[in-house]
Amino acid sequence: MRGAGGQETARSDVLLFVGCIALALLALALPRSWALTVASGLRQTALRPLVALNARATRDRTARFKLTAVEHTSDSLAVLVQQQEAIRRENENLRGLIGVRAAQSHPIVSAEVLHRPTVTDTRMLLLDVGTADGVHMFDPVVTASGLIGSIVISGAHSSSALTWANPDFAASAVTADGRVSGVVHPSTTGSGAATVLELQGIASRDSLVIGTVLMTAGAGGTYPRGIPIGRVASIGTDVNGYDKVYRIIPFAAPGDANHVVILTSPRDSVFAKLAKPAVPQ
Amino acid sequence: MLVVLLLLEFYLVPSIVEVQHGMPDFLILMLLLLAIREEPGVGALTGFMIGLVVDVLTPAHFGAGILANVLVGWGAAYGRGIFFADNLLVNAGLFFIGTWVRDVLMLLFSGTALQALPAEALLWAPMQSLSTAVVGVVVVAIFRDWLAIRIEM
Repeated sequence: MRGAGGQETARSDVLLFVGCIALALLALALPRSWALTVASGLRQTALRPLVALNARATRDRTARFKLTAVEHTSDSLAVLVQQQEAIRRENENLRGLIGVRAAQSHPIVSAEVLHRPTVTDTRMLLLDVGTADGVHMFDPVVTASGLIGSIVISGAHSSSALTWANPDFAASAVTADGRVSGVVHPSTTGSGAATVLELQGIASRDSLVIGTVLMTAGAGGTYPRGIPIGRVASIGTDVNGYDKVYRIIPFAAPGDANHVVILTSPRDSVFAKLAKPAVPQ
Repeated sequence: MLVVLLLLEFYLVPSIVEVQHGMPDFLILMLLLLAIREEPGVGALTGFMIGLVVDVLTPAHFGAGILANVLVGWGAAYGRGIFFADNLLVNAGLFFIGTWVRDVLMLLFSGTALQALPAEALLWAPMQSLSTAVVGVVVVAIFRDWLAIRIEM
C-alpha cells in the first residue's frame, strides 16, 4: 500500500500524532481554573446539543421509571411538614420572645446528575442546571443522605460539581455534638483501597469512637454547618505515628447520586435541623 | 452508524438505565471502529476529538481523556496491519483491550492514587471493557456492510 508516497503519508501521520500529543499535554498542564473555563465554554457552545440530549434522557428516565417513588416521597414529606407546622410556629414564637433572629431559609435548586460511563466520573459530576437557574460557584451540593461536594464552575445551563472523592476536596467537619472538629480529605489508604474520607487535625486530647457521626462545621464559608458527611469507620495513626487519623465512610456516594440539591446563598447552620442521619443501633 | 452510537451514548441508554461503573462506553467504541480503518494520524486526530468530548463532559482532570484517547486511537490505527479486522473475535479482543488501556491511561493521567489503581484497573475497567466488547461485536455484526467486514470466526 505504501509506495513512494507512503513515506509522505507516514510523515504526516507522525506530525498529526505529535501535534495531538502536544495539545493533549498542553491541556493536561493548564491551570485548573483555565481548564474548567475551557470545558464550560465548550459545554455551552459546541457540545450544548449533547448535554441537552443527555439531560433530556435523564429526565425521561425519571419520568418513566421513578414517578411512583417521587409521588410517595412527596406525599410523605407533605405529611411530615403538616405534623411539624405546630413545632415550627412554637419555635418562631420562642425565638421572638428571647430576641433571636429567625433562621434563614435556604433557597434550593434541584438538579439531575448527568453521569458518564468513565472511570473518573465520581470525582466531578456534571449537573443540568447553571447560572440561569441560580447556581453559582462554591454552592454546596447535597443529597438526602448527605454531602456530595460543591460547584466548581457554573455555565448558563450546566455546571460541574467537585465531589468528596476528588483529591482536591477538603471540608471542615465537626461531630454532631459539636465537641470535636477537624478537616476531612479524601483518602485511598487502608483495606480495599476504596476512596473514603479521612478526618485529620484532631487534638491529641480528643478522641472519637467508631460510629460517631460527622457534619460540616461551617468554617471556610463554602459549606453551611450541619450537613451530614459520614460516620467514623476505623481509627489509625498518621505516617509519623503521632496523630490519630479517622477513616470516615461518607453517607452519600457520588456514583449513585442521580438527583441532587444545590444550596444557594444565604448559608448558615439551619441544615442540621432539616436532615438528621439515623444513629446506628 | 456514528449517529446510532451517539444516540445510544447520550440518549437511548441513559433514558432507560442509570449510568454506572462497568457500562459500555460507546465513544471509545466509535473511536476504535473508526481508527482501525484509518491511517494512524487520522486515528490520533479522532482520538483527540473524542477525548475532548470526554474531558469536557467529565472534567475530572482536563487533558487526561484527550491524551488517553489519542494514544489508543493511534495504537488501534497503527496495529491494523498486525491483526485481521475481518475476524469477529479479533474485533472483540481489540474493543476489550482498547477500552481497558484507555481506562488505565485515564486513571494514570488524572492522578489516581496508586493504592486505588489496582481496584480500578483490575475490577471496574475490565468490566467496562467486557461490556463494551460485547456491544461492539453486536454493532459490527449489524453494520458489517457499512464497515465492509467479511465476518469470520
